[in-house]
Formats: sequence, structure tokens, C-alpha cells
Amino acid sequence: MVRPYAVTGGRTESADGEVLDVVAVVAAVPGGGGEDDDPLRHTPEHRRILALCERQATVADIAAGTALPLGVVRVLLGDLVMSGSVRVVRQRPSAGQRPDNNVLQEILNGLRAL
Amino acid sequence: MASAHSDPGGGPSLTAHKILIAGGFGAGKTTLVSAISEVRPLLTEEPLSTASVGRDNLVGLPNKTTTTVALDFGRITISDQLVLYLFGVPGQERFWFMWDELAYGALGAVVLADVRRLHDCFPSVSYFETREVPFLVAVNCFDDAPRYDLTEIRLALDLDDDVPLMLCDARDHDSVKETLIRLVESMAGTLALTSGGHPGGRS
Repeated sequence: MVRPYAVTGGRTESADGEVLDVVAVVAAVPGGGGEDDDPLRHTPEHRRILALCERQATVADIAAGTALPLGVVRVLLGDLVMSGSVRVVRQRPSAGQRPDNNVLQEILNGLRAL
Repeated sequence: MASAHSDPGGGPSLTAHKILIAGGFGAGKTTLVSAISEVRPLLTEEPLSTASVGRDNLVGLPNKTTTTVALDFGRITISDQLVLYLFGVPGQERFWFMWDELAYGALGAVVLADVRRLHDCFPSVSYFETREVPFLVAVNCFDDAPRYDLTEIRLALDLDDDVPLMLCDARDHDSVKETLIRLVESMAGTLALTSGGHPGGRS
């Protein structure tokens, strides 16, 4: 057990200064250096996050999957984005815009089928 | 930032939408998320400590012995490319810093109300009204709570006519499902009015 921000070296902001949305979608970049075993480059937490990014995943999923706080996940994902191991597929669903009716209809159909 | 629409791996790209579940302390947010989510939401409730004495108001909540100290979230997969996330937003003032970030780009919000402590949901209602986040108010029908007419509740909340108001049972999957459907339907209706399109029109 370590204090949450020990795994980020005390950093509370990601290296590129961008705050990833809690539902931002990220994915590992094949050949993007994520396979690099250099412990100086990737901490065990970075590796756990990379493993979860093999398929597209949201920041929330990664935080849940690693049991790390959201803020910590954001910082570590920022490192991985900066190093080219992970890319941001989509920062937010629609950047503040309401989804169109086709999307709403798809959501309605999905909810009704629950 | 590149916003590619396909995965280099060949898969379609994923879109995730946020629905916020708000309301006062003890209004049933955790229960609602648990009732509908396909994954077990994070269990983030912790015993009340002396730190929350004087902060969490337990009057009228005889059975409430814990307080939500982190985010509850739930996941509903609509398709391979579309996922809904429910976030229970903490009602206590000391967690308000989290709201703006969660509300930004949110699809909509459900404000849970408890008729025994109706005023507890006022801040949530005001918040979504001001931010123009589509929302509805769902009155969580606790077994031992008195029943009021929805018209009376609408008056008490000073709720605009276009904000849907309904009863729900946060423990019940179907009731929660209906609540979310009602929220999205109301958005589709608003959109149709502003765009002149057909509500629910699909090619």
C-alpha cells in the first residue's frame, strides 16, 4: 500500500497538461513502445494500464480495472500518450454537443432491450 | 488531437456517454446505479466517521449508517461501439468540485428526490438548470415515505413544465430502466422541436 500519488512521483497533472475526460476512450498503439520492458520508462502501474488499453477502454474502466484513483490514472495515461504508447481515440462523446436523434434512438433501443 | 474513427487494430471506435445520477445524501444514487449496471459498481461507501459529523445530515434517515465518499459508476453496453456510463455524483458540498468535469459533455442527468427531504435535491436541480444539461427528477419511492401527488411535488420543486417528473423505485431494475428511457425520450423530443426533425426517426 502506497499513497496514491506516489506512483506518479507526486505529480497530479498529466505531462501534456490535458485533462482526459472520465469517459475519454484510449487505446494502446501497436508498436508504440508499450512492449518496452525498461523499468525506468514504464512502472508496474503503467504496464497494468497498458494491458487494459489493448482494447479500446475508457478512463473510468481503467481506473476501476487498476483500482487506482481517477487522478492517478490520468497522469499515468498522460505519460503513455506522450511516449506514443497510447493514443486518445476520443476525448469526449460529442464535445458538448447533443447527440443526434439516430444516436438517441440507438440508446433507447438498447435500454428497452435491457 | 487526432480523432480517428477506426481502430488501427481494425475494430470500430468506441463512444462512451455519461449519464449523471444526482440527488441529496441518501436519496438512493448508489442503489439506482447497482440496479441497472452490468458490472458491479465500485463499492465506495465507508462508515461515517467523526469527520462527517456536522456535515452529513442524518435527520430523517434512520437506517443510513454509511456515506458515499467516492464515485459510484455503472456501465450499460448498448453495442460494440456505444456504451453508457452512469456516475453517481456525490451530493455533499465538499464534492462539488467533481461536478463540472462530470457534467461537461454529459448526455443527461437523473436527479433523485426523497419526499421526506425534498430540499436536498434543490442544488442538483439548480445545477442542471443553469448548465443546460437535460435532466429529469425521479422521486424515489421509499417504503416508509409519505406519498404526494406529482403536481404538488412539481410545485414544491418549482420545476419547469418541460422537465419530466416521475416516480421510481431505485431498487428495481425495470423502474430504473424506465427512468433512463424517459430521460432519453425527453431529449429526443426536445431535439425534434429544435431541429424540426422526427422524434426517434431512424433510417
